[in-house]
Amino acid sequence: MSETKEFIEKNNRFRGGFKSFLHEWMILFLFIVLFAISCISSAKFRTTDNIMNILRQASFISIIALGEFFVILIANMDMSITSIIGMTSIFFAGMVVNAGVPMFWAVVIVFALAIAVGIINGALTVYGHMPSFIATLTVMNIIKGIYFIYSKGLPISGLPESFNFLGAGYIGFIPFPVILLLIVAVTLHMFTQHTELGRSFYAVGGNSEASKLSGINVKFIGILAFVFSAILSCIGALGLTSKTLSGNVSIGENLLFDVMTIVVLGGTSLTGGRGKIFGVVIGALFLQVISNIMILMSINSYWQWVVKGIILIVVVLIDSNSKHD
Amino acid sequence: MVFPGVTALDNVDFTLLAGQCHGLVGENGAGKSTLSKCIIGDYRMTAGQLFIQGKHIHIPSYSVRKSHEMGIAIVHQEFQLMGDLSGLENIFIGRYEKKGPLIDWKQLQARGEELLSYLQCDVDLKVKVKHLRTAEKQIIQLAKAMLDNPKVLILDELTAVLQEEGIQNIFRIINLLKERGIGIIYISHRLDEIFQCCDRYTVLCDGKFINSGDVKDINKQQLVKMIIGRELKNVYPPKNQVFGETLLEVRHLCAPKAFSDVSLEVKAGQVVGISGLLGAGKTELIHAIYGNHPIVSGEVLVRGKAVHLKSPRLAIRAGLGVVPDERRILGLNMLYSIKDNTILASMGKFRKWKVFQDHGKEAKAAFDINKKLNLRYYSLWQLVSKLSGGNQQKVVLAKWMLRDCDIFLLDEPTRGIDIGAKFEIYALINELAKAGKAVILVSPELEEIIGLSNKVYVLYEGKVMDVVEGEHITQEVIIHDLLGVKEV
Repeated sequence: MSETKEFIEKNNRFRGGFKSFLHEWMILFLFIVLFAISCISSAKFRTTDNIMNILRQASFISIIALGEFFVILIANMDMSITSIIGMTSIFFAGMVVNAGVPMFWAVVIVFALAIAVGIINGALTVYGHMPSFIATLTVMNIIKGIYFIYSKGLPISGLPESFNFLGAGYIGFIPFPVILLLIVAVTLHMFTQHTELGRSFYAVGGNSEASKLSGINVKFIGILAFVFSAILSCIGALGLTSKTLSGNVSIGENLLFDVMTIVVLGGTSLTGGRGKIFGVVIGALFLQVISNIMILMSINSYWQWVVKGIILIVVVLIDSNSKHD
Repeated sequence: MVFPGVTALDNVDFTLLAGQCHGLVGENGAGKSTLSKCIIGDYRMTAGQLFIQGKHIHIPSYSVRKSHEMGIAIVHQEFQLMGDLSGLENIFIGRYEKKGPLIDWKQLQARGEELLSYLQCDVDLKVKVKHLRTAEKQIIQLAKAMLDNPKVLILDELTAVLQEEGIQNIFRIINLLKERGIGIIYISHRLDEIFQCCDRYTVLCDGKFINSGDVKDINKQQLVKMIIGRELKNVYPPKNQVFGETLLEVRHLCAPKAFSDVSLEVKAGQVVGISGLLGAGKTELIHAIYGNHPIVSGEVLVRGKAVHLKSPRLAIRAGLGVVPDERRILGLNMLYSIKDNTILASMGKFRKWKVFQDHGKEAKAAFDINKKLNLRYYSLWQLVSKLSGGNQQKVVLAKWMLRDCDIFLLDEPTRGIDIGAKFEIYALINELAKAGKAVILVSPELEEIIGLSNKVYVLYEGKVMDVVEGEHITQEVIIHDLLGVKEV
C-alpha cells in the first residue's frame, strides 16, 4: 500500500517545478496575453471572421513548420523547404494543367518527389557527414534551378475549381485547412509523445551518442527527420497552391524565415532534443496574430519584417542563454 | 587542495631542486595531476605555502599566467597542438615576431631552429603538425614549453603515448635540461622510467604524502609497495563463486591502433576484470565487443554462437548492455527525465495497442527498478542532470537491468562518484553476478578490479599480457603485468 502511495508521489510530473513548467509553455502564456490585448484594443480583430481568417492563414505555414520541427529537434536545419514548396507547386500544376495527369496521381508523384528530396537531404547529412545547413542549402538551389528550367519562372494557372476546397473550403463554419492542421498536429503529437519511434527523435536530439549506445538507429532517425520535413512541406505547398489555383515558383520564397521563427518561438531548442508539437502550432498562431494586428492597424507591411526579425532575435537569445536543466 | 566533498591533496610536501629530475608516482587518483595543477596555478590551494626560487608566493593572486612568468612550464600527455598549422606556428602561436604589422617568418624560423638545436633535436618545422610522428609532436610541445626559458618543467605522462625509441629521446633531453640547471617534475605510470631518469621520487596515495627520497636508495619492489601502500579495506562483498555456461567469448579480436589478438571468456555469474594503463585499449575493446568500434578480424560469441555485432542495436538484441565511461556524454541523455532514461532501451515492453507507449506502465517499471537500486530522487519526471554522479550511474545501470541484459559491459562504472555510492555500485555488481549475469568490468582502480573480479585480463599496449584467476589476483601480480614487466 505504502509503495503504491510512494509511486503516485514519485510519478508527479509537476514536481519538476512550476518554473520549468512555465518555461516549457512560455509561448502559450505569451500568446494568451497577446491575444487578450489584441481583442481588447481592436474591435475589428475580435470578429469571428477575422479569427477564422487568422486560423486559416496560420494552418499551412504551421504544417510546414511542423516538418522543420523534426529536423531542428535532432539539431539540424532544413533550408530546402522553400524549394520543396516551389517544386511541388510547379510540378503539380504542370502535371495537371499541361500534361493532363489525373489529380490523384499528380499528388502521389509530388509526394514521391518530396520524399526523394528528403532522403537526399538526410543521406548527405547522415552518410555524407555534411553540415545539414550546407547540404540542404545546396539541394535547395539545385531544385530551384530545375523547376525554373521547367517553368521558365512563369506561373502555371488553370487548376480545376474543386481543388480550391483544400485551401479555401469550409466544413460548417470552420475552414478546411484548420481541420487539416488539427488532424496533422494531433497525429504528430501522438507520434512524438506516445510512440517509440517518435520519442527516439528527442533521444537523438538530446544525445545522439548515448542514443546509439542504447540501441536507437540514429542514422534512420536522421534521414526520417528530413523526409518528414519534405512531406509536410509538400502538404503545405499543395494547400498554398490551391488558394490561387495556380502553380507558382515564388510561392515559398519568404516562408523559410517565418518557419524558423515559428519553430523556435514554439519552444524548440536549436541545439536539439527539446520542443513540442503544439508549441509550434501556437508559435504559428502567435506570428499570424502579430501580422494580422499590424495589417488591421494599417502599418506598412515592410515593418512586419522588422518586427518578425526582432522577435526571432529575442527568442533565440532566450534559447541560447537559458540553461536547459 | 579541497574539491567539493573530497580532499584531493592532504598535507603534501614537495621540494624540487635545480638541475634535478623528480619523479612523482602514485595510482590514478592519487593526486599527482592535482599537485601539478596547484603548482602551475590552475587549481588554488586551500592551505599550505608555495615557494618558487625561495620566493614566497601569495596564493590568492597566483594564476597560470603568474606561474608562467615565474618560469614554470608544463607539457601534457594529450597533444595541445593545432594539426593544420606547421610546427613553427604551433611553437610561436600567439607570440609571433613581427616586422611592422606583418609576421617576420625568417626571424621565427631562426628562433625555432635555435630552440630545436638547444634540445638537440631535428624536426622539420615547416610540415603540418598532423603529418608528424607522435614522437616529433612531443618535441614540438617541448620546444613550445622551452620558449620562455623556464626554470621548472613539469612533464605529465609525456611518455604514455610514445614508443621505446621516443622515450629514450625524451630521457636524453631530460638529461640535457638537467645539465642546464632546469628542475623537472616527472609524472609517469611506468616505474621503470623513474629508475632510468629521475634523481628523486615522491609517492602519493589517495592525496596523501607517502614517502620521498633518492631513487638510488630503493629498488622497484619497494617502490611498488609504497604505491600500493595500504591494506585492502573490506568494502567488497564476497565474490560469487557459482558459474554457469559461457555467455560471452571473444576470439582473436583485432582493431588497428587500439588492441590486437584479444581473446577472453566470461561465464554466467562471473565478474571479469580488464586492467591496463591509459592507452592500453580497454575502452576500445569494450566498444568493439559492443559493435561501436571497427574491428579488422576476430569474432564474438554469445552463448557459444558466433554473432556479427555491427552496431550497438544488434549487440543489445544479443543481450549485451554497456555502461560507458563518459556517463554524461555517452551514458545518459541529460535533457531526458529519469523515467525516459531508465526505459530508453526497453521501450518496446510498454506498449498500448502495440503502437502507443504507455507512460503509466513505463513510470511503474522505472519506479520499481529504481527502488531496487535505492535511487535517491524526488520525481520520475525530474531531469537526470539534477542527480548526483552516483545516482546518475545507477540510472544507467537501471536502464540495462530493466532491459534484462545477460552480459553487462561496465567501463569505469565508479568514475567520479563519491565513496558511498561506489560501495552501492560494488554491491550491485555483486548482485548481478549472483543473478547469473556475466559482467565485464573495466576500471583504472586496481583495488576495484581485485575486490570484485573472479578473473582478470591485463592489457598492455593492446595485447593481453596475462590472465589471472581466483586467489592469484593480487596487486603485485597485476601491477607487474600493467607495467609490462613479466618477472616478479
